Amino acid sequence: MKNGVSLYVHVPFCEHKCAYCGFYSEPVDAHNVELLVDALLTELHRYELQDPIRTVYLGGGSPTCLGRQYLMQLVEALAAQAPEAEEFTVEANPGQVDADLLTALRRAGVNRLSIGAQSFIESEVRFLGRGHNVHDTKQAVHHARAAGFENISLDLIFAIPNSTMSSWKKSLAAALSHDVQHISAYALTLEGGTALQSAIAVGEIVSIDEETDRQMYDIGIETLAQAGYGQYEISNFAKPGFECRHNLRYWANEPFIGIGPSAASFYRGRRTTNIADVRAYVDGINAGTPMLVDAQVPGEIQVACETAVLNLRRMEGIDLEHFREQTGYDAAELFAGEIEEHRKAGLLKVADGHIRLTRQAFAIADRVLSDFSTV
Amino acid sequence: MGTDHIRNFSIVAHIDHGKSTLADRFLQLTGAVSERDMKEQMLDGMDLERERGITIKASAVTMKYVHEGKEYMLNLIDTPGHVDFHYEVSRALAACEGALLVVDASQGVEAQTVANAYLATEAGAEILGVINKVDLPAAQPDVVAEEIEHVLGIRKNECFAISAKTGLGVAELLDAIVTLLPPPADKANEPPAALIFDSHCDEYRGVICYVRLFAGSLRVRQRIRLMRSGRTYTISELGKFTPEMTSVDALGVGEVGYVIANIRQLADVTIGDTITDDAAPAATALPGYVPPMQMVFSDFYPGNNTDYPKLRAAFDKLTLNDASFSFVPQSSPALGFGFRCGFLGLLHMEIIQERLERENDVDVVQTAPTVSYEVVTTSGQVKRVDSPSELPDPQKIAELREPFVRLEIITTNESIGPLMKLAESRRCKLVKTDYLSPTRVMLEYKAPLAEIVYDFYDVLKGISHGYATMDYEFLAFEKSNLVRIDILVNKTAVDALSIIVHRDKAAERGRRMIIRLRKAIPRHQFEIPLQVAIGGKIIARETIKAYRKDVTAKLYGGDVTRKMKVLKRQKEGKKRMKSIGSVQIPQEAFMSVLDTGE
Ligand SMILES: Nc1nc2c(ncn2[C@@H]2O[C@H](COP(=O)(O)OP(=O)(O)OP(=O)(O)O)[C@@H](O)[C@H]2O)c(=O)[nH]1
Ligand SMILES: [Mg+2]
Repeated sequence: MKNGVSLYVHVPFCEHKCAYCGFYSEPVDAHNVELLVDALLTELHRYELQDPIRTVYLGGGSPTCLGRQYLMQLVEALAAQAPEAEEFTVEANPGQVDADLLTALRRAGVNRLSIGAQSFIESEVRFLGRGHNVHDTKQAVHHARAAGFENISLDLIFAIPNSTMSSWKKSLAAALSHDVQHISAYALTLEGGTALQSAIAVGEIVSIDEETDRQMYDIGIETLAQAGYGQYEISNFAKPGFECRHNLRYWANEPFIGIGPSAASFYRGRRTTNIADVRAYVDGINAGTPMLVDAQVPGEIQVACETAVLNLRRMEGIDLEHFREQTGYDAAELFAGEIEEHRKAGLLKVADGHIRLTRQAFAIADRVLSDFSTV
Repeated sequence: MGTDHIRNFSIVAHIDHGKSTLADRFLQLTGAVSERDMKEQMLDGMDLERERGITIKASAVTMKYVHEGKEYMLNLIDTPGHVDFHYEVSRALAACEGALLVVDASQGVEAQTVANAYLATEAGAEILGVINKVDLPAAQPDVVAEEIEHVLGIRKNECFAISAKTGLGVAELLDAIVTLLPPPADKANEPPAALIFDSHCDEYRGVICYVRLFAGSLRVRQRIRLMRSGRTYTISELGKFTPEMTSVDALGVGEVGYVIANIRQLADVTIGDTITDDAAPAATALPGYVPPMQMVFSDFYPGNNTDYPKLRAAFDKLTLNDASFSFVPQSSPALGFGFRCGFLGLLHMEIIQERLERENDVDVVQTAPTVSYEVVTTSGQVKRVDSPSELPDPQKIAELREPFVRLEIITTNESIGPLMKLAESRRCKLVKTDYLSPTRVMLEYKAPLAEIVYDFYDVLKGISHGYATMDYEFLAFEKSNLVRIDILVNKTAVDALSIIVHRDKAAERGRRMIIRLRKAIPRHQFEIPLQVAIGGKIIARETIKAYRKDVTAKLYGGDVTRKMKVLKRQKEGKKRMKSIGSVQIPQEAFMSVLDTGE
């Protein structure tokens, strides 16, 4: 594997669960953090990686709620395993990071910080049930800079119930004022089984209508472009050269290993998913056999379809030549009917060896992508 | 040998009153089936029969029974109770001298009880009244006996109270079959005349004819002739159902059995035809049957046009074992090439649909079922139209006629009010009312088939809390004030969505149709107008808004497997849609025009 692998580490703990979050996490004090950190490292060693780790991403949950001692222990161990990593991201929850911790992280080799700001409107942050406030976010960015981080990303969410076009614009403007290198702007997604979803289902909360959601998305793209953030994926924007390498590798369908409860891997042609339960995960790792909830070796065609779907999320789209090298298929041939249909409808364009979504297709990309999901 | 030892009888009843269960007990008591091989509703052999717990096809079985030291041959035919399969009951009755009319002791006389009693009387069968399920706590054998006497004219003290489940009274009933039902007429010395009352097609042996000998006998290797078609064959096998097929050398007068004679296709035999000897034939054929009338029609189109040959092969296979289902090629400007199919009723349609899906791998788009209409053109021609799209231009129509039926409903007193209202809203005219008992009543209506064939029964069940039952019988085509409603999707008329309705209801119905279509057709990238037109005039409009947002906000490594599944499902959904212009219309949309939304 000449390109090496990426490493994702999932910390399944949160101080408390956000109303909208569909990721697997548990309250932090309920489990033995020490056991988990040990298990994470044991799992990583089990891989006996021959390939260099190119990127590391420590996410969750919220890694920063591990507390300084265990977080640093984990980060240092990961850094030692990935001496050649060009990017090492840690997700940081505002309110859980101070100047000291950030300085220590930076020193340990973390070179990218992804701050879960979500919104710069106080009522919206509160609505989302985050444990922080807008002031915490500002502090976090400030301390990160001071600690020497030169690659900072802010996560923003739009189409939050009760938000308005003007609150979204304000939130965007506040984010821009920090002049960070990267911004992810996600439309709020209703995940099954979340508190927010049930509140909406019973009519306690009204979701933002589709048209407004679309307009918010469009305004986001425009505003960010004007401020010098190029869109490189459906929800991701960066100053030139600061695109997230770790995530770019996902969309290129490059191999990655994911460790921790609920984490997925795509390694040596196999897709696996760990069990989403801390105790079961730890027991499995300690017993020498990670508990998987899903394991499959996708066939060649399946890989080609996955690659196409993932590639199309990038503004770069499918690079026909690269696609052929990677999957063995000519995408233009394999998806000829689908391409033709969507090209006619103005949702795809084929030019200079690439197949790309058109600007108007971004907001409705799944309609196009679904047709590439199987042949 | 004579015919004294033979008894031929059908078991007839309303749905679920226990015919097949009673047949089980007979099979057991006569030792035709050993305890070990016994299973519930033994004669319901088809997968669909077992899954749905209903009888779809009549089956015959021959049993031996010793009564007072003499061995009898009993030929039983178990029949289906559902209204769609009445013709199976008539056929069975024509092969018998007697009928057991079974009535559930907890339900009483119901619509198909009455209908089947008529059929038995018409067929000249001797009827024994049987009150079943007396083991149930809710059983009211005395009340039910009163009803039977009052409605069907069978004396209440002559009814048999039994439990087909526990076996109570079944032995006595067997004795009564021997002592009370007449033996077949002894015409042993006449030329053979065997009535074909049913048939099925076996992959290896070809057509198997179920016969009842009314005169003479048949032997293996005999040269026979089918009197109506004139075709001749040589008998290769004769046999009886015991219940498995057991071959015999000869079938004598009065007996029931099967004939195999190297007949290739079901289409080569007409049910109701007479088998006779080719060299010394009977003078006249036995009276045959009126072929069953197809009540509803629906178009089937392959989801993908290239699947047309596959669909045709699938239908060919289905008609092999069901001659009452028909299909003819059909083409629609909107939907391409497909088939117009005719069915005996909605249950029959459902069964065909299910077999089509189960036994074949082809996606189909089906239009809403319709009844057939009669058109008198201005040039004086009378035409049958069983697809709304085939209706000529209004200027060319002198008269439009729709099918009317005699509708019988049996229900409880409390539901009469709501039932009257329902009937009125469905253009039904009350003909007569008859009290079965102080609490139950039978109402007879003259009703337009189109109003009662789709959802009427469900609505009826609802307003009567499950108590009402209904039965109907075709009367005639009669003039009606009918119009065609056309639906335009994105400004294009979609012929497969057209329906014919009474003028008074047209506007309202059209409006409801597009509201339902608006929900059934997925949103597209563009806005889609839906319009209702009557006689070329647009009378209502709805709009399907364009979708504006459909994109997964976050998709990273861990989400790939799950997301791919979701996307695939989205694509699968597209397969069962028909594109009309640039609009994709799903299967449910075609069906949604049907539901009248009471
Ligand atoms: N308690 C009780 N249940 C019975 C009796 N006879 C039949 N049943 C039940 O009634 C239901 C219908 O019985 P079937 O024998 O299938 O009725 P059927 O008349 O053949 O029905 P169709 O062929 O669909 O018209 C089954 O659940 C039987 O078990 C009986 O004597 N007592
Ligand atoms: Mg039955």
